[in-house]
Amino acid sequence: MDFPFVKQAISQLFSKPSCDMYPFVPIEAAPNYRGRIAYDPNKCIGCGMCVRVCAGKAITLTRTPAEGGENITLTFDLGSCTFCNTCADFCNDNAITLTTDYHMIATKEEDLIVTGTHFKEKKKPAPKPAAAKPAAPAAAATPVKAAASDAPKAEAAPAAEAAPAPAVQPRDDGKPVNDPSKCIYCTLCAKKCPQEAITVDRKAKTWELNADDCVGCGTCQTACPKDAIIM
Amino acid sequence: MFKKTIIESTGKSPWLFHINAGSCNGCDIEIVSVLTPRYDAERVGFKLVGSPRHADIAVVSGPVTKQSLPRVLRTLEQIPEPRCIVTCGSCPQSGNVFRDSYSVCGPLSKYVHVDVDIAGCTPKPEAIMDGLLLAAQILAEKKKTGNQEATLPNPYAPEKTAEEAKPAEEKTEEKGEA
Repeated sequence: MDFPFVKQAISQLFSKPSCDMYPFVPIEAAPNYRGRIAYDPNKCIGCGMCVRVCAGKAITLTRTPAEGGENITLTFDLGSCTFCNTCADFCNDNAITLTTDYHMIATKEEDLIVTGTHFKEKKKPAPKPAAAKPAAPAAAATPVKAAASDAPKAEAAPAAEAAPAPAVQPRDDGKPVNDPSKCIYCTLCAKKCPQEAITVDRKAKTWELNADDCVGCGTCQTACPKDAIIM
Repeated sequence: MFKKTIIESTGKSPWLFHINAGSCNGCDIEIVSVLTPRYDAERVGFKLVGSPRHADIAVVSGPVTKQSLPRVLRTLEQIPEPRCIVTCGSCPQSGNVFRDSYSVCGPLSKYVHVDVDIAGCTPKPEAIMDGLLLAAQILAEKKKTGNQEATLPNPYAPEKTAEEAKPAEEKTEEKGEA
């Protein structure tokens, strides 16, 4: 009689099981595993890009007015998240990271919510002085809006002549300025802006910035194919 | 005579029934990997059965489509009490990327009491094991107390978010009053 498998059967009897003994032996996830989201509200500027790119609509951004500004709260619902890392990729300030923590089970909804609030100061006299500082784009922008009254138009026109072509001065508040000599009015910046703060008219060749809405995230600068936006 | 033994032993070897409610098959594959030798859930007593009438724990994957909804509910009804319903993946909790689709009726918690949610797209097999072990404990608790909505504290609940959630709630209440 021949028993070909006896040797293997006996060796298997005394060998260790091939399972991962998970609940008793903890297992670390792989180094780049995308698990529970970690959000740092202090780095966030509240541009809302993550909300726009999220496929599962897992991110909500709420603004509640507070004294001297507003509270911006970002809420991540892990129960609706695909852990695709797109929000972290698009975040300009690296406020979102996906950790290797995979223990995401819940008995209540709150167990799967990651949230954080930061306070954003709002400068009150934002639009008027800001519009006066950058010479060329303000001149391009103001006449269109204030076309009804002649006085600002007359003021704006010489301002544009006084500060001629050489270079557009960047603003001191870190918000974008358009260089009309380079701009081709392709509207890419307006499309990419998460706050929809930029209005571009292709026919009239105007570039307008709503400085109140702009958070200075820099998305328009990276999107510009002609490097016409200065920050 | 055996009542005490039955109550004590409930939850030691729960039988699983897996329902696919329109899943993309990702979660299904991970559930299979939990049951096969690498993670081997049978080692801690779980066993996959072919009929809901034999099952203690139902594992639902998928966003609960219009087609599957009546069948899912009928299947869940057939599981004898005490039963535990576990959702696997993000889909049955919220619809995930299929949310707001014309053919999706989810989330599942709109229709039945869900005991444990396992988040992830798809969850790691270890996470599914965590969820199933918690479900088994909840099952034992249900048998002991006779309360069908009994829950247990979640050992993996993040402490930070619980602290942060509380002041947020207070704030909204204050605002509501103001």
